Amino acid sequence: MKKYIVKRILGIIPLLFVVSFLIFLFIHLVPGDPARLIAGKDADLQQINAIKHQLHLDEPLYKQYIDYMNNLFHGNLGESIKSKVPVSELIGERIVPSLELSLLSIAWAMVIGVLIGIISAIFKNRWPDNIGMITAVSGISLPNFWLGLVMIQIFSVKLGLLPTGGIETWKGYLMPSIALGAGIMAMIARFTRSSLVQTLKEDFIRTGRSRGYSGLTIVFGHALRSSLIPVVTVAGLQFGFLLGGSIVVETVFSFPGMGRLLINSIQMRDYPVVQAELMLFSFEFILVNLIVDLLYGFLNPKIRYD
Amino acid sequence: MSETMTVSKQQIASKRGTLSTFWHDFRQRKVAFISFLFFVLLVILAVIGPYIVPFNPQTPDYNHVLQGMSQKHWAGTDEYGRDVLSRLIAGTRISLGIGISSVLIGAMAGTILGLVSGYFGKWVDKTIMRICDVLFAFPDILLAIGIVAILGPGLKNVIFAVAFFSVPSFARMVRGKTLEVKEMLFIEAEKSIGAKTNRIIFRHIFPETIPIIIVYLTMQVGTAILAAASLSFLGLGASPSSPDWGAMLSMSRDYIGTAFNLVFFPGLAIFLTVLSLNNLGDGLRDILDPKIKD
Amino acid sequence: MIRSKKIMGAFLIVLLALVLTACSTTRSSSDSGGAASSDKKDKDINIAVNQDFTTLDPHNVSDTLSISATHAIYEGLVGFDKDMKIQPVLATDYKISDDGLTYTFHLRKNVKFQDGSSFNAEAVKANFDRIQSSKDALIASHYLQYLKSVKIVDDHTIQLILNQPFSAMLNKLTMVEMISPKALKDQGDKIGMHPVGTGPFEFVKWNQGESLILKKNPNYWDKGYPKVDQITYKSVPENGSRVDMLKTGEADFIYPLPEQSVQALKTQNDITVDQTTSNIVRYVTLNTNKKPFNDKKVRQAMNYALDKNAYIKVVKSGFGSELDSTMAPSTQFYSKQKVYNYDLSKAKELMKEAGYAKGFTAEIWGDTDSATMKGMQFIQQQMARINIKLKIKAMEQGTLSDAINTPKSPDDAKVQMWYVSWSPSSGDADGATRGLFSSAAFPPNGSNTAYYKNGEVDKLIDKANQTTDVEKQKSMYATIQKDIYNDAPWLFLGVDTNLSAHVNKLKGVYVLPDGSIQVKEAELQ
Repeated sequence: MKKYIVKRILGIIPLLFVVSFLIFLFIHLVPGDPARLIAGKDADLQQINAIKHQLHLDEPLYKQYIDYMNNLFHGNLGESIKSKVPVSELIGERIVPSLELSLLSIAWAMVIGVLIGIISAIFKNRWPDNIGMITAVSGISLPNFWLGLVMIQIFSVKLGLLPTGGIETWKGYLMPSIALGAGIMAMIARFTRSSLVQTLKEDFIRTGRSRGYSGLTIVFGHALRSSLIPVVTVAGLQFGFLLGGSIVVETVFSFPGMGRLLINSIQMRDYPVVQAELMLFSFEFILVNLIVDLLYGFLNPKIRYD
Repeated sequence: MSETMTVSKQQIASKRGTLSTFWHDFRQRKVAFISFLFFVLLVILAVIGPYIVPFNPQTPDYNHVLQGMSQKHWAGTDEYGRDVLSRLIAGTRISLGIGISSVLIGAMAGTILGLVSGYFGKWVDKTIMRICDVLFAFPDILLAIGIVAILGPGLKNVIFAVAFFSVPSFARMVRGKTLEVKEMLFIEAEKSIGAKTNRIIFRHIFPETIPIIIVYLTMQVGTAILAAASLSFLGLGASPSSPDWGAMLSMSRDYIGTAFNLVFFPGLAIFLTVLSLNNLGDGLRDILDPKIKD
Repeated sequence: MIRSKKIMGAFLIVLLALVLTACSTTRSSSDSGGAASSDKKDKDINIAVNQDFTTLDPHNVSDTLSISATHAIYEGLVGFDKDMKIQPVLATDYKISDDGLTYTFHLRKNVKFQDGSSFNAEAVKANFDRIQSSKDALIASHYLQYLKSVKIVDDHTIQLILNQPFSAMLNKLTMVEMISPKALKDQGDKIGMHPVGTGPFEFVKWNQGESLILKKNPNYWDKGYPKVDQITYKSVPENGSRVDMLKTGEADFIYPLPEQSVQALKTQNDITVDQTTSNIVRYVTLNTNKKPFNDKKVRQAMNYALDKNAYIKVVKSGFGSELDSTMAPSTQFYSKQKVYNYDLSKAKELMKEAGYAKGFTAEIWGDTDSATMKGMQFIQQQMARINIKLKIKAMEQGTLSDAINTPKSPDDAKVQMWYVSWSPSSGDADGATRGLFSSAAFPPNGSNTAYYKNGEVDKLIDKANQTTDVEKQKSMYATIQKDIYNDAPWLFLGVDTNLSAHVNKLKGVYVLPDGSIQVKEAELQ
């Protein structure tokens, strides 16, 4: 077990290397010139070249990559080329709201999703199942920005219950978390249902039934336990995605999270910020993957690590 | 000789049997079946839509802009005075087209990669799966933004961008199935009689993966339509003037406080389409995935 | 038994996550806003804007929104009033020598920077030195390209010496605002995050991507101002959401107000919509170096084929006016031209004469802003009437700027038509002409994306710049505008109306023609 974990963690390192290289390549492949975007419309070529020089953007690409990696090894993410703020500070400010929003979204999605899944599995192919699944699947079928826009019209403008955006109070988190969590709720509900349906057919459940345990005892006492594995996987992976923030939902709700930082940095071609953020996403995602894999074994000791 | 004949006849019989059981099972699932009918309707609209629209979806009428719902214009008119209903109908072709073509491309590439990866294993498998990991690690929409930024805007590039990020999920799924099938006896048997790799992969393994591919395909089309709409929302969609639903939605969102119908209907069209595709996919999975089947 | 313990563990993890969320949510609501926005007081105002601020370094700012913020924190020797007329601010008066080379400023006395250090000739020089020593890397260095040296005459008098007369110098100086030299020394490059000026408001906190909070400068030199305690700028990119915030009371002032929402706000009794003149002009450049746009008749035909009234009605929801020159009426030395009145038959006639009766196909480029895409669609519909088939290519800003500026020579340029806008940030005629029409300003060197070249215009642009005689300048710019308008290197569309809206109890916040928001006189009633 320990050996396996160590092996997996060591495996991350080369992967991160490849990812860092790809990200660097990707960013520089996308057309655009930060110096020109910073300089604004009035600037002439001379000024643009001066800015380029100051930002070391006139150096050959391989040298920029070496500098970047060198900084990275020293724990230095660089600074934003537009605002000159250290990238770590910029990301630090945004990651907290993003993390909070992700946790909130995943939490309600898990609770509601699992609940719908259980009901659907128990009443498989009957009307509670149909209603449950249509509700769940609706969540994954809505364009989330549309959902956001419509919710603002209803809850903020018409009813005046919730702020249209911003995160000054906890209320500001509600609508974005619904827009973000809807799809995940749907996924969790579907996985819970199919996984539970499968488990209910297995031998030990049949045995339980033959021994006279009631249906609910079986579902909650036995079946749900082993059905939880794929659900945890899905929730974990989705959490990884969520942390990256959602450009679209954050735009609709003026939410100061990672997604908007990213899209703004991309628009300004603020290379250090984009690089750092993409690296963070990848790292996060790989980490979540690893944790999910390990949790797998934790929930189901039948799985062996070699 | 005669023995082989009977075997193949039996096989045909059993296949026909599967198909009719399948149809029987499918009709039992009301939600999936209704969704299927809706999808068929959409496909018909996509084909004949441009010929049955009440108004030309592209002709502006500056004297009748932003009209509400009326007998003449069931869904109102947009900011250029174009009939919204006509645009929705004409747009079915584009929106479905983007969804289906991008997923087909993605599925094709993903399936080949998955088959190869699963069948050959070892370093081939490792390399392909690592690449998939890397692609997975990028948020979908970001990949799409990057691709559209690099290749430039336009319908083709949007399709390509959306196709691109559905590749790794198909690859993973098909690989898993391939691993499963590979271990089954008849493949071993084929190998032992010296069948060619190509033949084994495409004649024997690939057919086994088809059901799961179909299920996934159905659901991915919905995801692809949503992704294309998100790209439109960010201004990177096909073309602002084409009546595709995502473009209509994103172009009209500034009117949400004044002309709600402009935002509502394209959103509804997307929602119903994706919902029906997802329900259809769920139904198909219940039937085709033997693990869940009764 | 063991297994159930493990599952308990898993649930505990989830529970922990939930608790964490709860804790962190409450924490952030209590301290990230701090004394600031979470508990809004009587004399605090909220302003919703459409973008994020990029920097608060007044010498390195290029976007209008960030300029709005630097105008609240900082001041220059001179500045604009409501109508973009130049007024002394940190100078009490100024004198320009007859040869146009020496500018003498008498500085306002008893002015202190927000960090307590005093404002004097020394401080002014330090600011000019900072810009000049940046070797072009600071944006403001562009405004000072003709500045030779800065001379301290006495503690409250300073002289700027130019190496050639430059008629727009005072306009450019409105963009050079004074930073506390002490703060400059302490902060260096980071001054953009920790601004210290002499303005009516001082910096409190900048939550990137969310809000910028400024508070009253209690020692402000202009007694009686400011009249509000705190201003919070909120970044709200979604157009509809800004309007909604005004309706729900989350914002007291919003800019820009999308044209299409004006109607919806008219019914609200507690909200006022403001219209102010703008110097933002909208146009489509026609690449005069490329077929068929190299034919003046084609370009004029396209202008005749364009229904300007419909443009204002459909694209601008009725707000704005037609563009009847190369610059907006509020720009220095503007002169009205005879417009290309909408005349389809004349347009067709001209197309026929040019040999394009059957029309042609072309691409129109623009950014991905929803207003731009709306405008491009309109142009597409209009040009179809004279058989010009346009393909809309909406590109993300960085990509677009690259596509336009990468070509090294005019012949490599791929751009045919570009839907774009311009506003001369310092309100001067030079800023509205040189970069757009001088043949020295072909990309990548400037923004002459029409690749317009007219020897006479080139000459006049240079001459007008170096004259000190205002009347002569005026007549030169009149000729320039007439020639260019007649040559039609653009599709002349319209001049914007700046639209903003505020709750009735707020007074004194207004938008300048260049689109920057002025808050000095803000007052709550």
